[in-house]
Order: sequence, then structure tokens, then C-alpha cells
Amino acid sequence: MSMYQVKPVSPDIKIDLPTCMYKLPNIHMRQENSCSSDHALQNGDVDPTVRALEARQDEIMRKLYELKAAVEGLAKTVTTPDADLDVTVSSSLSSKSSSCDIFKATKNLDALLGKDLGALRDIVINANPAQPPLTLLVLHSLLCQHYRVLSTVHVHSSVSSVPPQLLSCLGPKHADSYARHMFQLGFTLIWKDVPKLEMKFSIRNMCPIEGEANVARFLFKLLAPYPSDPAVATLVDSWVDIAFYQLADGSSKDRAAVLRALGSALGRAPWLCGPEFSLADIAFYCCLSQNGSTSATGANVQRWIKSCENLGHFGPAKLLLK
Amino acid sequence: MTKEEANGATEEEQQAQSKKALKKQQKEAEKAAKKAEKQAKLAAEQQSTDEDDFAKDRYGVSAMVQSQQKLASVATDKVGPPSLTCMLSSAIGMKREGLGSGRVDGEFSAKGAALSLVSLHRALVRVEDLTPQKVDQLIWLRARVHTSRAKGKQCFLVLRQQQFNVQALVAVGDRASKQMVKFAANITKESIVDVEAMVRKVEQKIESCSQQDVELHIERIFVISQAEPRLPLQLEDAVRPDGDGEEEGRATVNQDTRLDNRVIDLRTTTSQAIFRLQSGVCQLFRDTLTKKGFVEIQTPKIISAASEGGANVFTVSYFKSSAYLAQSPQLYKQMCICADFDKVFCVGPVFRAEDSNTHRHLTEFVGLDIEMAFNYHYHEVIDSITDTMVQIFKGLRDNFQTEIQTVNKQFPSEPFKFLEPTLRLEYTEALAMLREAGVEMGDEDDLSTPNEKLLGRLVKEKYDTDFYVLDKYPLAVRPFYTMPDPNNPKYSNSYDMFMRGEEILSGAQRVHDPQLLTERALHHQIDLEKIKSYIDSFRYGAPPHGGGGIGLERVCMLYLGLHNVRQTSMFPRDPKRLTP
Repeated sequence: MSMYQVKPVSPDIKIDLPTCMYKLPNIHMRQENSCSSDHALQNGDVDPTVRALEARQDEIMRKLYELKAAVEGLAKTVTTPDADLDVTVSSSLSSKSSSCDIFKATKNLDALLGKDLGALRDIVINANPAQPPLTLLVLHSLLCQHYRVLSTVHVHSSVSSVPPQLLSCLGPKHADSYARHMFQLGFTLIWKDVPKLEMKFSIRNMCPIEGEANVARFLFKLLAPYPSDPAVATLVDSWVDIAFYQLADGSSKDRAAVLRALGSALGRAPWLCGPEFSLADIAFYCCLSQNGSTSATGANVQRWIKSCENLGHFGPAKLLLK
Repeated sequence: MTKEEANGATEEEQQAQSKKALKKQQKEAEKAAKKAEKQAKLAAEQQSTDEDDFAKDRYGVSAMVQSQQKLASVATDKVGPPSLTCMLSSAIGMKREGLGSGRVDGEFSAKGAALSLVSLHRALVRVEDLTPQKVDQLIWLRARVHTSRAKGKQCFLVLRQQQFNVQALVAVGDRASKQMVKFAANITKESIVDVEAMVRKVEQKIESCSQQDVELHIERIFVISQAEPRLPLQLEDAVRPDGDGEEEGRATVNQDTRLDNRVIDLRTTTSQAIFRLQSGVCQLFRDTLTKKGFVEIQTPKIISAASEGGANVFTVSYFKSSAYLAQSPQLYKQMCICADFDKVFCVGPVFRAEDSNTHRHLTEFVGLDIEMAFNYHYHEVIDSITDTMVQIFKGLRDNFQTEIQTVNKQFPSEPFKFLEPTLRLEYTEALAMLREAGVEMGDEDDLSTPNEKLLGRLVKEKYDTDFYVLDKYPLAVRPFYTMPDPNNPKYSNSYDMFMRGEEILSGAQRVHDPQLLTERALHHQIDLEKIKSYIDSFRYGAPPHGGGGIGLERVCMLYLGLHNVRQTSMFPRDPKRLTP
């Protein structure tokens, strides 16, 4: 709409502005010059310099939090032997710092499991619902931290029904579980009426592996190699066998003997097989919890149990036992 | 005689001849005498039999049941006050046939008739209900004569009703005469008889019958429908397992004979069990889907254009032009989804004019088809279908064990195993498993039948399941209406389901966009004119949908572990068989 023009009433007069006040930039002028700079100053956006300042502030705060967490972790480390970092520390850090984990992950699945033929490598475990394999659940959660694992639970037709906690023991379904080829490893747990737990992986090249101890060894080797010192490796193996055959299946006299041996071993070293956490500790913790004899043990064992729980890997096992 | 011939004088020959003639005459006389004796004896016997047959009215061949009278099955049934003439005529009829639970002996008066009519009912007991609880009761029953064997003064009969049979005995005594025993022994196999008998306990279990604790002592036996003496096949032979027959030299019946005389073959316990199980499958299918909110539809079988491909359709003359018999209800299922039925299933015949004479193909079979609209991913359809199949398997496992065991006696097989939720493998995984086993296959090749069987065995070894789904087939081997995979154009959103290594279902997400459908049809070089109405049905808003179909006979055959689909089809149709 065109209007008639009016000549400016007052010519350009220079005005003396008082100097006792602080100057504000001209709002209107700013708007005219805004086409080149970031004109998106509406809607609560801030000046880039302010933004930079905020970013630096956030960075400092983050570092402070990290330091705080590290200090807390160190405090816990004093009580928990040989844990690099506590679970609270590892959860607050970003996920790509996997080197903080206890196990130096061997990501070379091809070397361990054979050449990738372009399809999901599926580990099938047949377990009896009367004896749920806690060790394997713990190892499964560790596997999930290192690889992309597709976990599924099935009920075989030889079993008429299983309690619901056994159906959800591997955790919630992955969002991408409809696309099997996107995963590196498959973990299929089938609740079946079998006398002994068994695992099948490659029909052509491997015979089935029987027994929770042996399957645990297989899965553990996907996470970390056995200790290179053969004496320590043998020690680990023997403790695993003691856990499964004497503690779980043995008579009460056997069990008492084992607990005594356990107590004395733990008196000498923080973990069962020396200074490092190993498969033997996982096996013993699970067997003890399943037995329910966690309370009737000595001080050494109690301390060791607390350290295990501090590590936070035994969450799924504890959930199932509830 | 020879000595005389050796001497050789003609005189002596004549003498010999006359002697021979004499001897001949003597012999003939002897024969005649013997014959006369025999006849006299027979006549005497006849007389004696006629005289001694005190049980004459307790056995015989009944007049053909032309609905002469109505016998209520329970005493409390309201038969209604009959008129006197009606009572009299039926009483006469009863006396003639020896029917009625009262004894109508000698003279009868109207009063007598009326009294007998008070008990004008006959409750026929089922053979399966003959348990020790019925001991010392007098019951009537109608069954087939499975076998009859006379042994001196007794005749053992085995009476059969579907899958149950019971031993029955006619013994000479105060209820039965010799002639009655003879009559019972001569009843042809498979005849239908009405029997009144006392239920008696047995000390030793009768192993060969289904009712092992009791036997019947027959007081009255009447033949309702006589069977011809020469049967085209014997039921014991039809039930014998194949392995046994070869060893002992006893016959088994081969399939063609069975199919030609299907009426008799279907009477065997095995056939009865198979078809009861099949009925169970159909019922479980309907029940499970109805519970999931599916609607049953009926689709037309006379159609104007071939749905799957031109080669395998039957043509029928349709007034002045011709039409085809539907190869599958595919088109109509999809139209129902576009018509907002959301979830449909249909049970009906499917006609495939394939000249394949294999153990698993029929030209006409019963198709159980499912189609449903889904929200975001076609795996919703797979989950629904596999859950239905698992419910069917569970229902069969829990409710039809007797039938499964009966079939197993003649056709032994491993019990059917499955996982819940159903195992789903991808095509690439299957290829990897097959390649590991030494099979050479291209990435986009279809699975041949031997490869499917090998894959079934590999899956069974690894996962111990007879039922699994193979997902993401290559696009090149699927029909034009299959939706391609969104990320990899080589593959498609299609799946097959296998039981015991043989394919039972082929399904996919369907293309619901008319544009894409036209493109895919052109790519497969299909004449667009022929499928115009099919493409048109998607032009007015079509939801994403998918589904699949199974064959009832094939599912039963594979569930029971049988080897030929004709065993699970009552009157099978194949390129070489059109009757019965």
C-alpha cells in the first residue's frame, strides 16, 4: 500500500549521549545488518560466542564429573582387588572406551569360529528348564558387551511350558532382531527336555559340546584367551571342574570340602586363580548362588563374593534366582 | 486184474471183461448204496436239526431295514400313544423278527402286544463303552463282523465299530443251538449285525481287541446288511505294516488296490485315525484364527483368468466361452483385504493341473489360506502364521495322541518336534549351511527338492525342530506380486515354511501399490490386460498386507511322517486317477 511521503521532521542532529550509562547496540540497526550473520536470533538462540562459552563450560563440567567418578572408582578399588574400574565408572564413560573392560576383547571372530560365510553364526544351546545355566547367562551378557549378539529364546515341543522368567532371561529383544544378517553372533537358547546341557554350533565341523562347564569354556574363549601360563590355565580349568562337578553335583561332604579349599585359596590371592578375574570365579559364583550356600562360608569367601558382585556382571544371574 | 490181462487169451479177456464189468457194477452199486445212505443220513439230520432248532427265532437274516418301525433309542423317549392297529402290526413284525426286548412267545393277544410295546425301545450300546462296569448286563449292539471262527460247539466272533472291537461268543447251550452256531460261523466278513448279548468279564486280557477286559455271550444275532463273500481286500492285510509283510510272507495291500476300493480301505483303524486327525487340523486352524480375530471367507473357484501362471489351470466350458478352475484364492483374498476385512482365511479346494506324479502332488487338494493386513513390518504376518501353526501342532500333540499312536503302529515314524516361537532363518544362512555341506548354489538360485530335504536335515540336527521358516528369498524366483526388499533389490519380503524338510507354505508381503505392481508384471512379461481387474483392486487405497496358504493333506502327511499324500486324501485326484 503506497502512502504519501513526509519529509523528515528533524534533520540529522548530533546528540550527546551521556557517558555514565552503558551503551546498548541499536536494535533496529542490528536487524538490518543481520542478513549476513546468523539472523536466526529469534526463538531463543544465542550468540555464537556465548555458545562457545557454554561449550567450554560443559566441557569443564564433564571433565569434573569424570574426575569425580574416577576418584569414586579408585575409592572402591581400594576395597575390591584388581578391578580396573567399577561398574559405576564404566557406565558413566562413553561406550567406545571398551579397553576399560576387564577382558581384552578378541574381536577376531573369524579366527575363533571359522570363516564368515556371509550368514549369522548361530550358537545353539539346549538347556533343561529344571536346571537353568547361570554361568552361560552371565557369559551371554558379557558377550553382548563385546559383539552384536542376536539372542533368542525358544521352547521345544518336548517341554509343555516354562516359567516366564526363563523366557526373558536373555534380556529384552533387540530392536533390529528382524534382520538377522546385521548381527555378528547368534545366541539361541532352547528350553528342552535334555538330560545334559548341550551346545551345537557348526554341524559339519564340530560335534555337540555337552555339559555347562565345557560350554562355558567355549563361550569364555570368545571373550578373552585363557591365561598364557599353562600352570595358571590348568588351575582355572580344575577350579571350573570342581565348581560344576563337586559343588553342584556332589554330596554335602564334597561340598564342605570344596568350600574349605575355596576359603584357603581365597586367603592367598584376591581371585581364585591369582591376581586376575577368570572363568573360575564366574563358575564358582554361579554354582554357589544356585546352591544357596553363599551364607554358610568363611570371611575370605564372603569378601570374594562381594567383589564379584561389585563387578556387576552377575546381574542376569541374580535376576533369575529371585 | 493185471495178472489176468497178462495171460492174454481172448476168452480169458472176455471173461476178464465180464469180470471187469461185474466189478464196475459192484462199485456203482456200492456208490449208490453209499449215496442213499448219506441222503438218508442227511434227511435224518435235517429232521433232527429241524426238530432241535429251539433257537430258530434268535438268529437269522433280517428283512432289509426300510424304516418299518421306529425303535426309540431310550426308554424315556416320547414314542407317542400308538394306535391299536399300528401296535398290532408292529407286534407282528417284532414276532417275526424276534425283535423287542420282551419275549413274544406263542400266542399273543392284544393285551400281550400292548404289554410288550411298553418296552418298545432298544438302546444300542457302543463297543467303546463295553467296560467292566457293564458286566452282567444284557445289551444290544450293532457292529461289523470283523472275523468269525467256529470251533466245535462254539463260534468266536470279533465285532468291530470304527477303531474299537470286542470278542463275542456263540456257544451251544440253552440259549443257542448248533444251527445257530453254524449260522454265526457262516456270516460273511464285514456284514453288519445286530446282536443281543450278555457282557461277561474275562480272566485273561484279550490282547487282540481294543476292549480287553470283557467279552460278549451272544443270545440273539441278526444280519442287518450282508457283505459279499469275496472282498477285494482283507482288512488285516490293509493294516499290516510293510516291513512285517515281507518277512513273514503275509500280504500287504498295495496303494492302487487300496485306492480302487477306498470304501473298504477307509474302514481300517489306521485310516480312521488319519482322517480324524485331519479333521482336527482343520478344526484347530479355524478355532485358532477365529480367536485371533480372523474372518472366514469363501472365494469363487470358477474364475476368468489364471492367477499363478497360465500353464497349470483346468479349463471348464462356461456357457458359450470357457473359464478356469482356481489355482489358489490369492486374488480374492487380497481383494477382501482391500475391502477392509483386515484378516481373512478360507478353506476350500484348490485345482492345479500339474502333470507331476510325485508322492506329494495332487491335482485337487484342500487349501487353508490366510491373508492379513499389517502395520509396519511383514514379520507381523509371519509371527501370526507361525503362531497358528504352533497352536495346531500343540493341539494335535495334546488331544490326538491315540490317533497318532494308531497311525504309528502301521507307519512308524519319529514324533513331530517344533520350537516356540518358531525358528526363522534367513536365505543367506541357509545358503551358508548348504555350502558348508558341499552343495554348490548361486546366491539367487531357488532351492531344489533335494536341497530342501538336505537343509531340513541340517536344521533338524542343529536346532532339533521339524518346522521352521526361511525368510528373504531372492526376488528372481518369486511371483510378480511379491514385494521386493527395501534395502537389497536382489531379495524379497517372501518366506517359505517347511515341515520335515518339505515345503508346506509359500507366502510373502504383497505389492499393494498399483504402480509398482504394473512394473513388476511388465518385468515378468505378463499380459497386463489379463490382470487388469487385479491391479484395479489396489487403486482405491490398499493397506500393506501379506499371507500364505497350506495344503491340508500335505500338512497331515508330514505331521504323521507318512510318505505319500494319497494316504491323507480320502478320494485323491492325480493325473492318473479320477475315481472313486
